[in-house]
Amino acid sequence: MLSVSNLHVAVGGTEILKGLSLEIPAGEVHAVMGPNGAGKSTLSYTLAGRQGYEVTSGSASLNGEDLLAMAANERAAKGLFLSFQYPLEIPGVPSLTFIRTALNAQRKARGEDEIGAPAFLKLAREQAAKLKIEFDMLKRPLNVGFSGGEKKRMEIFQMAMLSPQFLILDETDSGLDIDALRIVSEGVNALRSPERGMLVITHYQRLLDYIKPDRVHVLAGGKIVASGGPELALELEDTGYDRFAQAAA
Amino acid sequence: MSVSEALKSRDASLLPSRRDEAWRYTDLRAAVRTIPEPSPLGTVPAAPGPFAAIKADRALVIINGRGPEVLSLDTGQVLCVELRLVADSHATSHQSDLRIDLASGAHLTLLESHEGRGAAYLSSANLIVHLAEGASLERVVILDEPSDAVSVITADITLSPGASLKQTVLTRGASRQRFETQVTHPGGGASVRLDGVYMLADKCHTDLTTIVTHVGPGGTTDQLTKGAVRDASRAVFQGQIQVQPGADQTDARMGHHALILSDRAEIDAKPELEIFADDVSCAHGNTVGALDEDALFYICSRGVPLDQARAMLVQAFGLEVIGRIETEAVREVAQAWLAEVGAGGSDGL
Amino acid sequence: MAAVKQTIDQVEQLEAYEHGFVTDIAQDFAPKGLSEDIVRFISAKKQEPDWMLQWRLEAYARWLAMDAPDWAKVSFPKIDFQDLYYYAAPSQKAGPMSLDEVDPELLKTYAKLGIPLREQEVLAGVQGAPRYAVDAVFDSVSVVTTFKNELAEVGVIFCSFSEAVREHPDLIKRYLGTVVPTTDNYYACLNSAVFSDGSFVYVPPGVRCPMELSTYFRINAQNTGQFERTLIIADKGAYVSYLEGCTAPQRDENQLHAAVVELVVLDDAEIKYSTVQNWYPGDAEGKGGIYNFVTKRADCRGDRSKVSWTQVETGSAVTWKYPSCILRGDDSVGEFYSIAITNGHQQADTGTKMIHLGKNTRSRIISKGISAGKSSNTYRGLVSAHAKATGTRNFTQCDSLLIGKASGAHTVPYIEARNASSKFEHEATTTRLSDDQLFYVMQRGLSQEEAVQLLVNGFVREVLQELPMEFAVEAQKLVAISLEGSVG
Ligand SMILES: Nc1ncnc2c1ncn2[C@@H]1O[C@H](COP(=O)(O)OP(=O)(O)O)[C@@H](O)[C@H]1O
Ligand SMILES: [Mg+2]
Repeated sequence: MLSVSNLHVAVGGTEILKGLSLEIPAGEVHAVMGPNGAGKSTLSYTLAGRQGYEVTSGSASLNGEDLLAMAANERAAKGLFLSFQYPLEIPGVPSLTFIRTALNAQRKARGEDEIGAPAFLKLAREQAAKLKIEFDMLKRPLNVGFSGGEKKRMEIFQMAMLSPQFLILDETDSGLDIDALRIVSEGVNALRSPERGMLVITHYQRLLDYIKPDRVHVLAGGKIVASGGPELALELEDTGYDRFAQAAA
Repeated sequence: MSVSEALKSRDASLLPSRRDEAWRYTDLRAAVRTIPEPSPLGTVPAAPGPFAAIKADRALVIINGRGPEVLSLDTGQVLCVELRLVADSHATSHQSDLRIDLASGAHLTLLESHEGRGAAYLSSANLIVHLAEGASLERVVILDEPSDAVSVITADITLSPGASLKQTVLTRGASRQRFETQVTHPGGGASVRLDGVYMLADKCHTDLTTIVTHVGPGGTTDQLTKGAVRDASRAVFQGQIQVQPGADQTDARMGHHALILSDRAEIDAKPELEIFADDVSCAHGNTVGALDEDALFYICSRGVPLDQARAMLVQAFGLEVIGRIETEAVREVAQAWLAEVGAGGSDGL
Repeated sequence: MAAVKQTIDQVEQLEAYEHGFVTDIAQDFAPKGLSEDIVRFISAKKQEPDWMLQWRLEAYARWLAMDAPDWAKVSFPKIDFQDLYYYAAPSQKAGPMSLDEVDPELLKTYAKLGIPLREQEVLAGVQGAPRYAVDAVFDSVSVVTTFKNELAEVGVIFCSFSEAVREHPDLIKRYLGTVVPTTDNYYACLNSAVFSDGSFVYVPPGVRCPMELSTYFRINAQNTGQFERTLIIADKGAYVSYLEGCTAPQRDENQLHAAVVELVVLDDAEIKYSTVQNWYPGDAEGKGGIYNFVTKRADCRGDRSKVSWTQVETGSAVTWKYPSCILRGDDSVGEFYSIAITNGHQQADTGTKMIHLGKNTRSRIISKGISAGKSSNTYRGLVSAHAKATGTRNFTQCDSLLIGKASGAHTVPYIEARNASSKFEHEATTTRLSDDQLFYVMQRGLSQEEAVQLLVNGFVREVLQELPMEFAVEAQKLVAISLEGSVG
């Protein structure tokens, strides 16, 4: 599924990722943990194709296709979805309109038929109910004036609607209260399937109580410095990142 | 500068009128029919200037247009200068030019006052300032002129990269008063703050005009002007921010907020953005209105008389601007000015 | 979003300017140039009464003494007023006609432009489809006006201006030039002398006009000025929604369009006036295009009257236009919603004036400017409150979006307050399309071009919503088409 090998990425002339490698097979959920500034968001932006993230060497592919050669929207059409750490506000574009436009753009890119309005609305109502999102909120411009928690929920709603193949959650738990965390996690877990892969980025063990990872990696100093099973996350909760930060330095 | 020229040649027809777009709200030609006789030699006033409380390193006095013409600071020199421009004249006219040069890294605190000791004069004071790399100027100006004077004060300030300008002007107006600041902004880490407070009463008029031209990338400009007009006074705010081609990453903000306290008073504002680059973020906001009735009621309900409550709110309104003055001692002088001027007014406010 | 999708398909199919074709038709011209004789010629062609001719001649005499304005942020070569035709009309008999008498070439033109001229076709349309009446103006004359009879049944007069001069002289004499005086400005004065045709609307007291009224202006002839004159009167308690649309063929020379629109609104009446202006903007090198110099003003004479201007300005080489409201009646309301898009070498200097004279009058200005290519886009506006206009309110929001390195965006508001109980709020921003937003939208699967369109649509949405439904979709398409090729 996702294969990242010896990835070096520079931002504004500074090297942030320094030879990062990661393999996430289909059907698995991997967590990446690490201290602030370790390069976690850099990894997610690079995989999603944000400009200004210069890959100086290494590779990244999804299902054997070179991600780095594609534009951001092409990666999305291949099924890559990034839940942003800081979702953007899009004034004047109602949330539902936005998602339908995105969905149909992706379907078109994949040579599929557009989804009709009734089917789309039906799906939207179902998913909104599951995520406890008021339907009226979906008529408001995307993320404009939403609280931090609402924005995160809207990311997961988009994810549910777009039904991607590979999910990257960048600190989706930050800014969520405990109820919202549970609802969001249920939304993510509902998408777990043998065909899908997930990369869950977080600071805290807490989220991993809800979304159980198959593997846990520690990112420090721009590299994966340790990997293990779910128990590694618990261990980190006790010992912190310090020893890894030193190891990386 | 046509005002200077009109004064020098004593030709009133050279004065700008409201037909000139830049002077549409300050019609000097209508106010001045003939250019008065030149002012005589004045005498140094016995009374101290408004910044007397601050120990300046040097005091410069320009009386009736006569005085020093150059002020230079050497590289890295730090200086606090009290600059007093005194009009000791009755129905006469004068004009002055002062050039200020700051070498790289120099820092000047300029405490500038325009003190009208006479009456019905016509004056023009021009400042040309050049800031070399990394130089900084903090300019605080108090305009204290009689209500029958006509006064035009201009400053043409050119910054080099890394330089900084911080300016605050405080005024009660005059018969016609124009305070104009033109800034050439190179970007490149240079920063500009241009602030003003006006508190006008009777038939006073003031015109605060700024033109900031961003000529290079990466500059910031932050402007805040607030004021109140009562009786039949009139305040004019014209702020223009220009961003020239190539001056990308310019970040410019301009705010003007005014209180009108009487139906005979007037506010005219023209906040202008002229932008020829694409990667910029510019904004201006302008509000004109009365005092907040709810706030007035709240204060009165605590036992404060209405007049006092109004004065309190007017002062609080101007305080935001004064709070941006960095040097504490200067800020205190400005606060005292606001307390004195903000409380006055002849129609019982 | 279906509309965005549609827009994108549309863009792929279309030429940059889809209305750029020329109709090949026999036309009558006045001799080239401007003189008193030309003014007489136009008046005679229109079979006008003498008072109308005298009015024109007086305007002409005054125009000769005026200078062209130069304060707007637009630049263009001096117009040679002697090198223009002031009258061009399809050869046909004068006066109103039935549709069968109209030249089939003309009918084809309007069909191609998507303007419904046959009432029965409109009527035969889909159940519940919006119906609207059309006055079609081709160069200097009105070709046909639809639904006149049905409107007449409720007392609404909707006809060409020329016809109104002949049939309703009392109303014309009473209101013409009372909102925009002859000498108001250079182009308005010129228009008063040589105006060709336009629409006239009168809605009697208490009548809510049963359908949208619209005028469709088309400049076809070469080197021809179009001087439309429109007058709309909403009598006490009346309501009317009116829309104008404009196109012109693609030509290398610049063409002049100098219109005057006057709105009179009496007690409790309301006029909603929408414009979709898509005159030919010139080619990619800035050659050709329409000079669009327009004076539009509404006089809210009555208490509690209301005027709402909505404009989508995408065309023309040079635009100079400030639809304004004189809020004379107490509690009257003025609104101005504007989208102005410039691309290529276009220049637009547009905005509004809200003159508060009556008590408790309110105004609202929402302006969205988009500059792309090498264009220049200026918002110029005035909000003023008279000393007696107590309790007035204004809110202004003025946003500019920059696309492309070489374009300019300017904001020039004038705010004049003269009493203690007025409250004016004005906000303006100038920003460029955000890279972060673009990336976010592309991450969800939209291409760069689609992402730009989506963000632009969001930017202008507040204004688009003010347009009558049936025109909003058109306008949205137009927004997309105007920005074609502006990003890359
Ligand atoms: N635009 C930028 N220019 C320079 N450095 C940047 C930029 N964006 C992020 N960085 C730096 O890259 C490092 C990694 O950032 P990020 O990936 O956001 O960390 P994390 O998500 O792990 O907290 C940080 O040191 C941050 O300061
Ligand atoms: Mg991060």
